[in-house]
Amino acid sequence: MSKLKKRAGLALAATTALSVVLSGCGGNNNEASGSGSGSGSEKPVELIWYTIGTPQKDVDTVMAEVSKYTQEKINATIKMKMIDWGDYQQKMQVLVASGEPMDILFTSAGGFDYVQNARKGAFLELDELLDKYGQGIKDTIDPGFLSGSKVDGHNYGIPANKELPQLEVWRFNKNLVDKYQLDTSGIRTLESLEPLLKTIKEKESEVTPFGMDKNFVPYVPYDYLVTNMPMAVKLDGSDMKVVNILETDEMKSALETMHKYYMAGYIAPEAATTGSTSDLTTSGKWLLDRAQTQPLAENLWSASYGYPVTTTPASDAIITNTSVQGSIMAISANSEHPEKAMEFLNLLNTDPVLRNMVDSGIEGTHYEKIDDLHIKNLDASQNYNMPSYSLGNNMLLYLNEGDPDDKWDQFKKFNSEGKASPILGFNFDSTKVATEMTAVQNVKEQFWASLMTGTVDPATFLPKAIDEFKKAGMDKVIAEAQSQLDAWVAANK
Amino acid sequence: MAGSFFRRFNRNKVLLLMVLPGALWFLFFSYLPLFGTIAAFKEYRFRGGFWNSLINSKFVGWDNFKFLFNTDAAFTITRNTLLYNIAFIFLGLVFSVGLAILLSELVNKRLAKLYQTSMFLPYFLSWVIVGYFAFSFLSMDRGLLNHILGYFGVDSMQWYSDPTYWPYILIFVYLWKSIGYSSVVYLASILGIDRSLYEAAMIDGASKLQQVRNITLPLLKPIIIIMTLLAVGKIFYADFGLFYNVPRDSGTLYSVTNVIDTYVYRGFKVTGEIGMSTAAGLYQSVVGFVLVMVSNFAVRKLDKDSALF
Amino acid sequence: MSTATATKKKRDFHQITKGWNVLFNILATLFSFLCVFPFVFVLIISFTDEKALATNGYRIIPEKWSFEAYEYIFQTGDTLLRSYGVTILVTVVGTLVSLVMIALYAYAVSRKSFAYRRFFNLFAVFTMLFNGGMIPTYIVVTQLLHLKDNIWALILPMAMNAFYIMILRTFYITGIPDAIIESGKIDGAGEFKIFIRLVLPLSLPGLATIGLFSTLGYWNDWFNALLYIENPNLVPLQSMLMRIESSMQFIQQNSLNSAVSLEALASMPQDTARMAMVVLATLPIIFAYPFFQRYFVQGLTVGSVKE
Repeated sequence: MSKLKKRAGLALAATTALSVVLSGCGGNNNEASGSGSGSGSEKPVELIWYTIGTPQKDVDTVMAEVSKYTQEKINATIKMKMIDWGDYQQKMQVLVASGEPMDILFTSAGGFDYVQNARKGAFLELDELLDKYGQGIKDTIDPGFLSGSKVDGHNYGIPANKELPQLEVWRFNKNLVDKYQLDTSGIRTLESLEPLLKTIKEKESEVTPFGMDKNFVPYVPYDYLVTNMPMAVKLDGSDMKVVNILETDEMKSALETMHKYYMAGYIAPEAATTGSTSDLTTSGKWLLDRAQTQPLAENLWSASYGYPVTTTPASDAIITNTSVQGSIMAISANSEHPEKAMEFLNLLNTDPVLRNMVDSGIEGTHYEKIDDLHIKNLDASQNYNMPSYSLGNNMLLYLNEGDPDDKWDQFKKFNSEGKASPILGFNFDSTKVATEMTAVQNVKEQFWASLMTGTVDPATFLPKAIDEFKKAGMDKVIAEAQSQLDAWVAANK
Repeated sequence: MAGSFFRRFNRNKVLLLMVLPGALWFLFFSYLPLFGTIAAFKEYRFRGGFWNSLINSKFVGWDNFKFLFNTDAAFTITRNTLLYNIAFIFLGLVFSVGLAILLSELVNKRLAKLYQTSMFLPYFLSWVIVGYFAFSFLSMDRGLLNHILGYFGVDSMQWYSDPTYWPYILIFVYLWKSIGYSSVVYLASILGIDRSLYEAAMIDGASKLQQVRNITLPLLKPIIIIMTLLAVGKIFYADFGLFYNVPRDSGTLYSVTNVIDTYVYRGFKVTGEIGMSTAAGLYQSVVGFVLVMVSNFAVRKLDKDSALF
Repeated sequence: MSTATATKKKRDFHQITKGWNVLFNILATLFSFLCVFPFVFVLIISFTDEKALATNGYRIIPEKWSFEAYEYIFQTGDTLLRSYGVTILVTVVGTLVSLVMIALYAYAVSRKSFAYRRFFNLFAVFTMLFNGGMIPTYIVVTQLLHLKDNIWALILPMAMNAFYIMILRTFYITGIPDAIIESGKIDGAGEFKIFIRLVLPLSLPGLATIGLFSTLGYWNDWFNALLYIENPNLVPLQSMLMRIESSMQFIQQNSLNSAVSLEALASMPQDTARMAMVVLATLPIIFAYPFFQRYFVQGLTVGSVKE
């Protein structure tokens, strides 16, 4: 085992060294050819890259460094634009619809829906580019990702190599858990949280016991056809029936619990209109929230918040369309430099120097190396605190302080152990019911957040919401989805 | 023919130059968007610039209007827009005329000036700030209102998720922000009324109330009618800021806070469908146009000078 | 006794009775109070201790006062200052640009000798009757003019207004005698010269009114920023207030003051600091408007009655 670790370390170091050498050569080559053909002195292409996450102060500084590196390698510079978590979906919608210049953009099942937007023609089809410039990607990324992110047989984006199954966890602010000696061992269901929330509510008036923003949805064992739209199929695969999630018993009881918690003051009163919980995480005034995890995520979170975070599972680890399409980088259909963008994506997913710079910033400013594998965040890392999952191949990353050397092996193990959702690989095509989808979406805006955060009483609002969804044409959407699903099941038998 | 055209053009060269910046502005910010409304009949997809996208996007006829009229969305937002505006016009009129009369009757003119200055304040604040003000009263756990209700033993209200009271809240906030200012128009007219009319009435033994009813109001009537008709012309357009900022964009309140303007904006934000959002906007423009024409026609009948054209 | 009779004598005989006067004063005081109170309340909240606020909520008389919120804002003050800068720049440039465009346009269409007068009049008036609406305007501004994330996106969309043109045109027609223009012509002055030397000075009161309305419009605008601005360096004041409504992140992330440590952020008085921002953004208006009040009154009466 330890041998393996060492070898991995060496390999990484070697790759790093090699790439430095290569980049040096690249530079020379450029200069040499520049005088000859004139191609080397060509103005570098600027790639505009939209990604998800709270905008960071030092993005431009880091991207200037990144650009130096990429200019040498592929003669391109990078301009990164970040859009905050809660706004990403809507803002990207508008930016893409209005043809804002962009080359690379983050998309996923949850944030700026990958499948729907691929069908709408927002992304460039990448099959050819991938063959031409993306060999490195094909070699490194788990094939489960590349095949799972095909829409109608084509790739429209490069998935990030990371954890494959989706595992929901409860996260706890360990400072508070320790202070009140809370017992988190038996926690799994939503209901089991109650005693903890109650204690904190009584003892810490300033703390929000249950942190969440308006995008929160209680976990129920269903797989959604389109993320955050109410059509779903039961995860245990017992029936392949598309249902309105709001009409399921599981969701109904979860919403009742949420409302109970809300009325008890465990949830922030403005949760249904809050776009971000970053105020809570920076100030540490929260007890628990729910998040998607990956192996050793606690270390990641603790490092970025500056205080310890622990977790307990809230679901099984399941490979769903959502998780397979959990982080994808697509090339905009309006990109003026699709080839360069592909070259960049290939580099990002294969080159540890670039990947780590994008992830952790500048060595000596934002982080320092402890050894070949591990890094430690410096104070300035607060100005460049990036989500790792959304920025490409995770398996190239340095390890955090305290991470075991075999972190990425743990990932591989985690990935191989995930259970597949019964509808993994089925992508709903909503073009036939576009009008109804728009209407359903509008209804969703009206009811979703306040129901899911427990702000309103499901006894009165759930029937109302179901009724409104029906009026908007929900049944037609479900019928269409069901017939597509039946056809898919028949074809994949 | 051509010669006379050029001569005419030449003679007006300087004046034409003067209208040029403004005319260009109208072209870009009014007439091109007008042309852009053909997106309402297209499945708009951005490809290679504004003109290309507009012309090459797939033509879909009335499809984009379906989502509006297949659901009760069109009904709800039209109802909200109209009812709120009617309430604003009617109550705004009653309160600002009342306030103007009240201020004109105050004995101490200095105090009256001070009152007026205070009542003016809300007019100068943006809707964002008014939204914050409202929040300091309506916040469920911190707001002043729930605190006061608590004194009387009433349970805390979830103001931002209970639509019941929002029609009243919105009307109140609107009046609060606007009547201090709009009363000025009426006050100016009242002060312009010939005092001898009142003196004559006094001699005849008319009470103050009778004077208001028989002198002040009849003399205010023309301006009241004009102001009202002008407002009626804009009845299909809502104050976006009021309906967007004050309810904090809370979904549960949409049934009573969504007006056409906010609906168009949100539709665009949520679905990113330029075609469908433009369709909703076009519906507003067309009906709005008819209403402006009708009200202007009425104004014209009454007082030619006050008409828009 | 004697003073009482003296005041009684001074009373106009058609004044309302004392009882009514008291009642009217009470009503007027109440409404005035209602208009001013929310601002005072927010001011109080901004001086409340964050802990006291968390336990008691917003109170008229807080349990504990504190300057923490303002201390914090001055630490990260550059964010607020930058937004102030954007707002001031947009307001000044915007007001000037719109005054120039409106005055020129209105003057030209007010001239009887202008051959295309009818056309350009209609060209302006029609925009009041029918417009493309929010989304087509958005597409034109972003896709044709490419003004996304550009300071001009905050200035140009509000630069013109057919209504102001009509007001000013009426002002020129009724307020500036043809004789003045004719006399200018006899002196051999060109159209521009006549406009600048003779007409402009006479129209200053009208321009002042329109200028103040437009200043207020620019200062309070958040809608254009909502549509067109992403770049944190171009966010005007009102829009910044919107962005911190649910999270102070915007302030933290956009402050260049790196001395603000993690611990300082963790102990930041979020709720009171937000209200302090509201206070700081409102102060200029509170101080300025009483002085300009009468121009607004003028504008309203001119605009609606068109005397």
